[in-house]
Amino acid sequence: MIYVYGVLRRGRSADVAAAGVEQAPIRGVEHGELVALVSDLDGTVLAAAREVRAHWAVLDEVARSVTVLPVRFGTVLEDDDAVRASLLEPNGERIAELLHVLEGRVQLNVRGHYDEDRLMADVVRTSPTVASMRERIKRLPEQAAYYQRIHLGEAVAGEVARRREDDTRLALKALEPHAVASQVEEPRGSDGAFALAFLVERGAVDAFGAAVARFREQAGDRIRIRFIGPLPPYSFTDGELAAGSPAWA
Amino acid sequence: MSVATTPRGYVERPRPSGLADVIDVILDKGLVIDAYVRVSLIGIEILTIDARIVIASVDTYLRFAEAVNRLDITEADHQPGLPELMEEVTSGGASSKTKGVIEGVKEKLTGDDDDDDDKDKDKSQSRSRRSSSSSRSGSRSRSRSGSGSKGSS
Repeated sequence: MIYVYGVLRRGRSADVAAAGVEQAPIRGVEHGELVALVSDLDGTVLAAAREVRAHWAVLDEVARSVTVLPVRFGTVLEDDDAVRASLLEPNGERIAELLHVLEGRVQLNVRGHYDEDRLMADVVRTSPTVASMRERIKRLPEQAAYYQRIHLGEAVAGEVARRREDDTRLALKALEPHAVASQVEEPRGSDGAFALAFLVERGAVDAFGAAVARFREQAGDRIRIRFIGPLPPYSFTDGELAAGSPAWA
Repeated sequence: MSVATTPRGYVERPRPSGLADVIDVILDKGLVIDAYVRVSLIGIEILTIDARIVIASVDTYLRFAEAVNRLDITEADHQPGLPELMEEVTSGGASSKTKGVIEGVKEKLTGDDDDDDDKDKDKSQSRSRRSSSSSRSGSRSRSRSGSGSKGSS
């Protein structure tokens, strides 16, 4: 079996020091102008927590110097021929096109999380509905208030969802002008405010970082912001995206 | 490093991070290939638990209700709103206490090597560790048919 990490253009150095999945060494499978980074695999059972790191480490190392198109974690093919026949051959044009667009660009992720206590206090303060439901429930014995609590929680969830939308918009407004393309992703956890991926020119990472710093200042204590990267373009491997954003052209 | 108090002109350096970020970045991202071999990823459900928290669910509703109910009302009254917050750029401090149980769990999962440095000296480490993972995951089997692969559209 062959584990596949990503694809890059032939001629770029594909020497990878990092060990791959199951500690196997990384090698390239070539076809036309493309090289798939792969490693050999004994079985088809993988320990997720460990191998997700191997997948990361390999692509992270390559992406430091070269543009590489990541393949989805957990992708395994029969053998080298299958890598050519199922990956490089049928998708060759699309991959080459994507690599061309992504050349010299990196992904930067910006994640926002709310401080929950502060968020809840803000919801109670700004939503009369939530505030009055809350008061009513306080006077009821816990057992009796089960459904009321669900309704209260639902109202709170609605407020949280609204804030997510607002804050996603705020973050995009602040950061999008400094990026080539952006991608809105689903925030993680119940305290997630926004999850954004940006495609940025390698040379513009500092300018983007300055924008993140300004946005962090603007958000204050309300949102905890994480700035992660530079990353291989994990979130920009979908051809559909190219059509969606004029900046890609 | 207190980021909040930085003057304008400050450039923030992005950084890679612990397992939670790795998962967040990697899972469900990347090129999807037609017809690939089915692999079982053991323990994947533990890694993705955070991603499955749906805001519109009874569990979340009850949790929100509890969070709102345990608020001290006076505290709520005195919390600054968004506009005041914009001015009140303090160095913060208390914000890290709500780290979340799940995030903690995830980081514990791989507490052994959180520094992302690729010094994998311990190649001798046996592979049998996989069998100790908690449970067998539903295999991520996306064996699609067809060959025209146009992403997920």
